[in-house]
Amino acid sequence: MDDGELRQLIALMTAYQAGSIQAFDELYAALAPALLAYLISLTRARSHAQDLLQETFLQLHKSRRAYRAGLPVRPWIFAIARHVWLMDRRRRSRRPQAEHELPDLPVPPDVAVLGDRERLRLAMTAVLPDRREALLLHHLWGFTFAEIGQLLGIRADAAKLRSSRGMADLRRLLTEDNRG
Amino acid sequence: MADERLHVPPALRARIAADLRPVAPLRSPFTRTLVIVPIALALLVAAAVVFGLRRDASRIGIGLTWGASVAQMLLGLTLVVAALRESVPGTTLARRTVGVFLGTTLVAVLALTIATWTHSPTRVAAGWTTYVWSICLTGTIVSALPALAVAGWLSARAFPLRPRVAGALYGVGAGLMADAGWRLFCHFSDPVHVLGSHTAGIALVAILGLVFAGLIGRR
Repeated sequence: MDDGELRQLIALMTAYQAGSIQAFDELYAALAPALLAYLISLTRARSHAQDLLQETFLQLHKSRRAYRAGLPVRPWIFAIARHVWLMDRRRRSRRPQAEHELPDLPVPPDVAVLGDRERLRLAMTAVLPDRREALLLHHLWGFTFAEIGQLLGIRADAAKLRSSRGMADLRRLLTEDNRG
Repeated sequence: MADERLHVPPALRARIAADLRPVAPLRSPFTRTLVIVPIALALLVAAAVVFGLRRDASRIGIGLTWGASVAQMLLGLTLVVAALRESVPGTTLARRTVGVFLGTTLVAVLALTIATWTHSPTRVAAGWTTYVWSICLTGTIVSALPALAVAGWLSARAFPLRPRVAGALYGVGAGLMADAGWRLFCHFSDPVHVLGSHTAGIALVAILGLVFAGLIGRR
């Protein structure tokens, strides 16, 4: 994400705090695709991720006062999305669940050339969830490791380690698959 | 993969529009902590003003009385700043950072206890142990409650995603601020008394903060 987009999101968030529904519409348009992909990577179920996306924007609305102008918007709303997922997972763990569908997980562009869509999807699914999350946040959505650390409650170097191990796992899985 | 989601679903938009009004954004954690500074200063001087300064104050010196208490108060305020930062989504603290804050507090309290005992070893007289213990424990907890309540309110307004972590941090902070004043009045430096009543009081305020934060959640 470049500086222009960063500043635009900050301006939209500030306008939304001032009561602009148009700013909310634009924020939704700018953030919903990446948030949905993130929630799919966490839930591994597209339809469920879509429900959580709506809940994330409702929580964003409830907490809009807590946003401080000047702070990057995406780490803030991704943290809320992650919290919505964690709360939902806690609720769902109390009752039996149906088998998850194998979702269409997003794939970082720098590994997309290593295999076809189906193999990439299977390989992404096989990467450990915490590594996959850090990998996607950094390589697909461009978060810095410091931002990932603040989002996940870990240190920046731990976030970097998770991401690089996730990438190594992904490359290994795809390479093994190519040989096999 | 999510192009069809570019437009806000009508039901969601209607809910947002029905509740949309201008809101004042929160200030930085540091600025919001300034609200607690008057309480911290009042706690620092209250016990010494009302009940008098500890009897061994001249022996242990200004550094270990007022100096150490001011440092303890500042550490308490720092923990509140950390708790308010933790309360803002996207700026949560790493687990290790939380551990460093709590570990630093423990080391500081232990070091101060040992230094005070080394300079002026004073014990509670036999037969008075339970009475003095209950006074110092209750005094620390009760005097921490205003700072705890205000810090809890400030944290809840910021939408904490891990309210119990924030609660434990501002709980320890409030306990430290309360004890910073209480230790200026308490005449006894015996580590058993200090750790068993003053430090235990700080720990109990931290637990209160944790429970309180879990109950009030986000406002």
